[in-house]
Amino acid sequence: MEREEVKTELKLHIIKYLNLLEKTTADIIDDQPLFGDGLGLDSIDSIELVVLLEREYGIKINDPKDGRKIFTSIDTIVDYIIENRTK
Amino acid sequence: MSRVVVTGLGVISALGNSVASNHDALVLGSCGISSADFVKSKYSGTLFFGEVKIENEKLKNIFRISDTAVTRTSLLALHAASEAIAESKLSESQLSSYNTAFVCASTVGGMCHTDELYTDAKSESIASVYLSSYDCASMTLFLREWFGIKGVINTINTACSSSANAIMYGAQLIKNGFAKRAIVGGVDSLAKFTINGFNSLGILAPQNCRPFDKDRNGLNLGEGAGFMVLECEEDVKDKKVYASLSGYCNANDAFHPSSLSENGEGPFRAMSGALAKAKLSSSQIGFISTHGTGTENNDEVESRAMMRIFEKVPPFASAKSKIGHTLGASAAVEAVFSILALYHGELYPSLNFNIAIENTGLKPQTIFENASLSHVMSNSFGFGGNCASLIFSKA
Amino acid sequence: MYIHQSSCISPQHTFGTIDLDTLVAPENNILKLREPKYEGIPLNILRRMGKAVRIGVGAALPLINIEKKLDGIIIGSANGGMEDCIKFLNQIIEYDEGRLTPTNFVQSTPNAIAAQIGLTTANTGYNITHVHRGLAFENAILDAMMMLAENVFSNYILGGVDEVSNYNYNLERLGNWHKKEKVTGTDLYDMHSNGSIAGEGSAMFIVNNENNGASAKVNAIKMLHTKDPAEVAAQLNLFIEENGQHNVWLAGENGDLRVQPFYDACELLLSENTSRLHFKHFTGEHPSTTALALWLACRFLETQKIPAHFFKSGFHKESIESVLIYNSGKGDQHSFVSLRT
Repeated sequence: MEREEVKTELKLHIIKYLNLLEKTTADIIDDQPLFGDGLGLDSIDSIELVVLLEREYGIKINDPKDGRKIFTSIDTIVDYIIENRTK
Repeated sequence: MSRVVVTGLGVISALGNSVASNHDALVLGSCGISSADFVKSKYSGTLFFGEVKIENEKLKNIFRISDTAVTRTSLLALHAASEAIAESKLSESQLSSYNTAFVCASTVGGMCHTDELYTDAKSESIASVYLSSYDCASMTLFLREWFGIKGVINTINTACSSSANAIMYGAQLIKNGFAKRAIVGGVDSLAKFTINGFNSLGILAPQNCRPFDKDRNGLNLGEGAGFMVLECEEDVKDKKVYASLSGYCNANDAFHPSSLSENGEGPFRAMSGALAKAKLSSSQIGFISTHGTGTENNDEVESRAMMRIFEKVPPFASAKSKIGHTLGASAAVEAVFSILALYHGELYPSLNFNIAIENTGLKPQTIFENASLSHVMSNSFGFGGNCASLIFSKA
Repeated sequence: MYIHQSSCISPQHTFGTIDLDTLVAPENNILKLREPKYEGIPLNILRRMGKAVRIGVGAALPLINIEKKLDGIIIGSANGGMEDCIKFLNQIIEYDEGRLTPTNFVQSTPNAIAAQIGLTTANTGYNITHVHRGLAFENAILDAMMMLAENVFSNYILGGVDEVSNYNYNLERLGNWHKKEKVTGTDLYDMHSNGSIAGEGSAMFIVNNENNGASAKVNAIKMLHTKDPAEVAAQLNLFIEENGQHNVWLAGENGDLRVQPFYDACELLLSENTSRLHFKHFTGEHPSTTALALWLACRFLETQKIPAHFFKSGFHKESIESVLIYNSGKGDQHSFVSLRT
C-alpha cells in the first residue's frame, strides 16, 4: 500500500475511534503534534490509539507509555505502521 | 445537636468475613490478595484480586436464601449490614420505623452478572433471573425489603468515593432531622465489566499492588462490603459506641475524567474541609487511611496533597495493599478499619512498600504498632474527581 | 429551598424556544429526545460524551452562564450512560476481554454526568450522584435542601437525567413495562392495560436560599417504599396535613394498570378545587421523570399557563400558586414534592 493511502486510511480510523466530530482527513495535518496543543488529544486518546493499532494493523504495543513516542504525529505513526504491520 | 456516633460495624473482605476476623488479619499484617477463584474472567488466574473467598451458594446458605435472582453484590451487602445491625442492637420496631434511614453505595450493582446482562440486553423474549437487578439500586432495595426499613432509602454512586458519600448522607439525614438513625455503607463485587474497564485504562498491576512505592505500577481490584450504624449520641444510652463521625467533606478535583490534578486540589479541599468541620487542626490527626491505590497518578498526588495540609504527615497506610481496591465498598470498608484502629489504639501496616516516591519521600506505616489515637482520617478519591474525607474521633 | 433558573432537554419543545402546547408523539412507543446543537460544549469534549452526559451538561450550561458562583453539583440519575455501558459490554464479548478502548467504560458510570459538569465549570465544590432508581432525583432534592440548610449562602446545580438506550429499553420491555398497543399521545391513559411508553430527558435547576426572583419554593418532599396504595394514601394525608392542599396536582400516572390504584387512592384525598394534571404522555416513563415534572411545575408557576393536554379533566380557573407533584413509575417507590410561589 502506498504511503499516501496508509495516511488517509489512518486518518479515517483516527476520526472514527476518537469520534473527532466535524473533522475530515483534510483537517488533520501530517506533521502536526497530535497531543497537547495540536489536535488536543490526551492520555485516554493515547490508549484508544494503542487499541486502534492492534485492531486495524495487528500491531501490539505492550507498554502504553511507548505509545506516546510513536503517536507524535500522523507521519510518525504511518512510519511505525509501515514497518510493523501484520495485517 | 449532639454528635453522630457509630454503634455497630460490619465488614466482609478478602481478609475475612466479620469484623473480628478482619481485625485479627489487620493486626497480623495479612494480605488478602491472590488470583481469583470465583469471578469468571479471562484474567482470574493471571491478575491479582482481593476476592472474598466464599462463593455465592455458601453466602446464600448462611441466610437460607433460595431465590436464584439474588446477586453477589446483594449477598455481600447483606452479610456486612446484618453484622452492623446486630451489633448495634437495633430492634425490629426501630428498623421498621420511618425514622430509620438506609444509605448504600455501589458502582457495580448487579452488573457482576456481566454475561447475563449482555444476553438480556439483546434478548428477544427470554430474560435471566437477574433482569431487574442490574442497576446500583438493586442491592439497596433487596436489603430494604429484607430488613423492612421504611425511612429515607438511597443509593449513591460516585465511583471510588461512593460509600464515603453514603456515610456523609446518613449523617446529614440525622443532623437535619430526617432520620434518628442511619445504616450506611457500601458494597461491590468483582465483575468482568469492571475488570475489563480498569484493564482498558492500563492501571491494573501485574502483581500485588505497591501503594506509595517508587516502583508501584497499578492497582488490584477487590470486593467486599462495609456497613456501620450511625445514631444521635443522646439516643444511644448504654450501647457500645465505637467512635463519633466528627468531620467529613466532599470536594471535586475537576481536572480529568480518570486522573487527579498534579497538586491534588480535590484531595486537598476534601481533607481541609473535613478538618474544618471537625474543628481540628491537622496536627491532631493520629493516623490516615489513605486512598493509596498503587497507581502512579494517585499515590504521588495524594502524597502532595497530604504534604500541603500536614506539616508533619502522620502515620498513614493503604488498606488496598491488603484487600485490593473494593471500589464502591472501599470507603466504607476502610472507614471500618480506621474505626478499629482508633477504638483499639492500633496502627496497621501498609504492605509491599520498599522505597519512597522520589518527589515526596513519604513512607507509610510498615509495621504493626500500638498508638494512642484521638482522631483518624479516612480518604477516598474517585473517578471524575470526586474526593471524600471522613474523620472519626474517640467516643 | 428556592428554584431560580431551570432548563430542560426532553422529547418535547422544552429547550431554546419553549412551546408546551405542541405535543410530540412517541414513535414506536418511545419519546426520543429533541437534542439541541450544543453551542457551549467544545467539540473536543463533546466527542467523548455519551447521551446522558451530553444532555446533562447541555441542560446545565445555560444556567451556568447565568449563575457564575456555584458551590456544587447534585445530580440524580438511575442509569447514567446506558449506551456507553452496552458499548463497553459489546467490546468485552466481541474482543473476548482483549485490548479494549476505555472511553465507553469511563462514560458509562452514572457519576460521569456530575463529573463532566464539574469539569466543564472547573467546579471544585460538592459533587454527588444519587442513583436510587425511581427516587434518584428525589434524593438529590433532599440532599440539596440539606446542603442549603448548612451552607446558607451557597448556590447549587440540582439535576435529574435518564436516557433510553437499546439496552435499558430491552430490559424494560422484557420486564413487561412497555405497552404493546401503539400510543399516540394522551390515549396513553385510556388503554387500561399494563405498561407505559419509554422516555428520556434532563432537567437542571439553580437552587439556593434566596427568595427574591425565585420561580418556586420547594416546600417539602417525602419519599416512600411500599406496594400498598393504602399506605401511600396515609402518607399523603400526613403530607397534606403538614403542607396544606395545593392548586394543582401534577401526577405521574403513566397508563400502567398496575400502578393506577396508587394514583386513584391519592386523588380521593385532594380538595375539589385542586386541578388534576398528568404529564407522562409528555415525558414518557423513566426513573427521573420527577425532574421534568419539577421543571413543568416551575414553568406553570412562572407563566401562569397550563396547556389543555395536561389536564385530566376541566381546566384551571384561578391563579396558580402551588403544585403538588406525585410520582411513582412502578408502584414500589413513591414521592411527593410540594412547590409554592
